[in-house]
Amino acid sequence: MSQDDDKWGIAHVHASFNNTVMTVTDLTGAETIAKSSGGTAVKQNRDEASPYAAMQMAESVAEEVKAAGITGLHVHVRGPGGNLQKSPGPGAQATIRALARSGIEIGRIEDVTPIPHDGSRAPKGKGGY
Amino acid sequence: MRIAVTGTPGTGKTTATDLLESRLDIVHLNEILESEELYTEVDAERESKVADLNGLSDWLDGRDDAMIESHLAHRFEVDRVVVLRCEPESLEDRLLERGESRAKARENAESEALDVILAEAVEEHGLESVYEVDTTDLEPETVADELEAVVAGDREPGAGEVEFVGYLQ
Ligand SMILES: Nc1ncnc2c1ncn2[C@@H]1O[C@H](COP(=O)(O)OP(=O)(O)O)[C@@H](O)[C@H]1O
Ligand SMILES: [Mg+2]
Repeated sequence: MSQDDDKWGIAHVHASFNNTVMTVTDLTGAETIAKSSGGTAVKQNRDEASPYAAMQMAESVAEEVKAAGITGLHVHVRGPGGNLQKSPGPGAQATIRALARSGIEIGRIEDVTPIPHDGSRAPKGKGGY
Repeated sequence: MRIAVTGTPGTGKTTATDLLESRLDIVHLNEILESEELYTEVDAERESKVADLNGLSDWLDGRDDAMIESHLAHRFEVDRVVVLRCEPESLEDRLLERGESRAKARENAESEALDVILAEAVEEHGLESVYEVDTTDLEPETVADELEAVVAGDREPGAGEVEFVGYLQ
């Protein structure tokens, strides 16, 4: 396959306290190519199910993405990444691994987790506890 | 006893704690940050002061019968942490109504959808010390009653009972 035939998209991975969901868009973010259903991966046993559920979610999205002719994905990860875990948590990591295993090329991985703020915000990174 | 009342901006921390008639001192941490100049720099993009967490922690030292109200309150040594929650669309509306910019309302709503503050609170203090209160459909007076219940020990801890991530899709 020539370089021109490669079609890239962005996987927006959202890893919350007890769920991981994903939307795949074109490079502009305007067109949605595939979307995991929020319910698929939810409400599992907290300790171990989160990465497994995320992996299943990613596998089903990967099939849709490949069917749409996408060969590579940049990944934008948002979220604290699951309970009691470090960012990006096991849900996000399992998602990225599952995408790669399905034969999709993985490009840049960016952490774009939002920062809660009003007149003040926390310094970036940890500290002050 | 020291209680943190935390939650994404717009969840109603200031409103609810202003209604309390608790024996605890209420510390509105943003007021202290301003009056004592306990910040290290200004995030111009977010129009937000970057908190000096060590300085604030020192200021809190010795104030042991207090309820600390701030979206940073869970970052300090406390006995219990109340995390106020609000469905992100409603949170966005509340913030816009309060006069915040679209960008600010949006980034906070995304933070709420991703449970950012809840996850931090649980990571730091453990599930047994975290009390999640979904304020979406509660009057401020009812939220204040929930805070009193936590102080009185009449409420069970809990976390992760709401699911807001659908907001992002
Ligand atoms: N329980 C509630 N229901 C609906 N609106 C609320 C509630 N509590 C607060 N508000 C409104 O939402 C906005 C944010 O409340 P505020 O107390 O300033 O939140 P915080 O201190 O957590 O940032 C205010 O405009 C307030 O009037
Ligand atoms: Mg406030």
